[in-house]
Amino acid sequence: MSHDNALQADFSAGPTRQIVELLLEHAVWLILIVLLAVFCIFIPGYAQTGIFFNILEQSTFIGLLSVSLAIVIIAGQMDLSCEATMALSAMVTAWLGSSQGLNLDLPGWLIVPITLSAALLLGIVIGLFNALLVLRVGVTAFIATLATYIFFRGTVVAFNGGKGIFGLNSDLRAVATFRVFGTPGLAVITIFIFVIFSAILRKTPFGRYLYLLGGNAVAPFRAGIPVVKVAVWAFVISGLLSAFAGWLLAARTAGATANLGVGMIFEAFAAVVIGGVSLKGGVGSLPGVFAGVLLLTSIRTAINLLGMPPQYTQMIQGALVLAAMTLDSFKQVIRVRYL
Amino acid sequence: MLNRAGISALVAASISFSYVPAFAQSKGTIAYLLPDSGGPFYPDAGKILKEFLQQEGYDLTILDSNNKSDVQLNQIDNVINLKPKAIIVAAVDFDAVVPGVEKAKAAGIPTIAFDRQIKGTTVGLTSVAGAVEIGQIAADQAADLLKARYGQVKGNVLEITGDPGDAYSVSLREGFDGKMKAFPDVKLVTKPAMQWEPTNAANVAQDQLQAVPNTDLIFYHSGYLASAVTAVVQAAGKKAGEVMMIDGDGDPGGLTQIRAGWQQVSVQQPMPAQVYAIAMFLDKVLKGEEIKPGKYDVLGLEGTMTNEKWGPNLKIPGSVITKANVDGPSNWGNGKVPQVKVQPVN
Repeated sequence: MSHDNALQADFSAGPTRQIVELLLEHAVWLILIVLLAVFCIFIPGYAQTGIFFNILEQSTFIGLLSVSLAIVIIAGQMDLSCEATMALSAMVTAWLGSSQGLNLDLPGWLIVPITLSAALLLGIVIGLFNALLVLRVGVTAFIATLATYIFFRGTVVAFNGGKGIFGLNSDLRAVATFRVFGTPGLAVITIFIFVIFSAILRKTPFGRYLYLLGGNAVAPFRAGIPVVKVAVWAFVISGLLSAFAGWLLAARTAGATANLGVGMIFEAFAAVVIGGVSLKGGVGSLPGVFAGVLLLTSIRTAINLLGMPPQYTQMIQGALVLAAMTLDSFKQVIRVRYL
Repeated sequence: MLNRAGISALVAASISFSYVPAFAQSKGTIAYLLPDSGGPFYPDAGKILKEFLQQEGYDLTILDSNNKSDVQLNQIDNVINLKPKAIIVAAVDFDAVVPGVEKAKAAGIPTIAFDRQIKGTTVGLTSVAGAVEIGQIAADQAADLLKARYGQVKGNVLEITGDPGDAYSVSLREGFDGKMKAFPDVKLVTKPAMQWEPTNAANVAQDQLQAVPNTDLIFYHSGYLASAVTAVVQAAGKKAGEVMMIDGDGDPGGLTQIRAGWQQVSVQQPMPAQVYAIAMFLDKVLKGEEIKPGKYDVLGLEGTMTNEKWGPNLKIPGSVITKANVDGPSNWGNGKVPQVKVQPVN
């Protein structure tokens, strides 16, 4: 028996295999824990509760975008417009809820639901528009949502002539600053969203339909599953979550600017891929994506605390993300070779 | 003697000869190529430029290249075909734009560099803010604020730059950091807000406030970032004035925070003066006349004209905005067009 065969035989046997499978399944969490340990040891000031709360809180926007992306990708589609939806939602929220915007002068208990409703309605409309382009007109999802990304990004700039809108209503601001037993409210919201949508994907027929649709669009259709409806819902959910992220973003930054959120789509993509969602569709889970989001935010926080010259920031961030993704890809090699 | 018909005809003729349509009065079109309308600076400069150029009889066409240097080059190519009297360009990339400027020169169209120096070729005029000097003024203001707090210049300072690749931010940092070196008791930490994105600035501020809770002062390179940074300072439980704040360009976002009491100083770019300078020297540029080096009064600011390798270069200093003068009409962040008559330089 060759050495490799011997190793394979060992791994194939009982509990060892199960342990290795478990570790491979959650490799991104392992990488996260290892990196956090390294950062805590080598970066002064990293190892404190406040920093960990910051990481959770700052993960909110990439986190919500990642969930929206993951859902459409699992369903075999794509939504590149989620960042633009978020930015436009933030701008509309600021416009409705700021003294420099419409200046509605309404009490907080009205301004919060009004702005939230407007933001979510915007998300639904954009989601439906994307669905129309892809499913009715027949444009490839990548192209259709790239076009809507460019269009809605331009809308954000044109909305207020390129100017930011500041002076957000204080009750709306409080959405971003409230705490639950000392934990930042945004972090609680993010975790809640991940838990809810993980449960939807795993435990509901709709979730199963998303995976089936992403794996093979023909088979579920032949099985009588309403594939178009499921795909429409995937786009609508993506729009809703992105718009909700925009509403929260306006609260966090106390307003909105024309370039708010720019570049977040790339981080969201990285988190989705690191988290194990296959770009081919039909594969992936949200807990992995959450770990991917935390990984990226932890790296960014580490760079924020490091005394590195600022012109190297993007390079270092990219290198660390590349290292994390390379480590994650080794799990495929191990799986193939030894299991 | 003229009969009634003759008088009517005479009146009609004099009316028609006295009416000169607007387009016949225009001396021509000038093209303004701005790099990005994602913030108010360049679009507002366009509004002021339009007003000043109209006084001198020129029409203004404005093009936005959305921060893409190749798009800006294409725009120069297209605009050359329209034969404008001049091209005013705020370059996306001052090296990449050089071929476009040289094409315009070959077509007999002078180029004026606005706000961003184009050093790789000669242009008719460069009108810029002294960004290094603005950084130095910001450092002086920071030193004054820290001295007022501690009786000496000491404390923890966080500098949030713009995108590390942005020339304005690089120059601001050069000026600010250079001056702060003279104060050994000031602990300066510098972090970038990548792509000038406010969430990135907020994250930087939040992490630094966690690592250094007794941060005394935050200097962000643009008031564009002010709202997001102020939000996290507030969320950290700080009161207005506890963490002092300065911005380095006079953006409306910074002025909002000065009015709200969270920000103490803005060192604004002299944008209206930079634009006025273009109108002041436009005739000389169009005629190809020599522009003498020296000091020039530009909307009350002392601009310094020097002859550089890339042509006449006018550098105008920034000015300080505090709560006392935050509503001043000359603050570009207030979005007002200065009500002045352009006095061309002879």
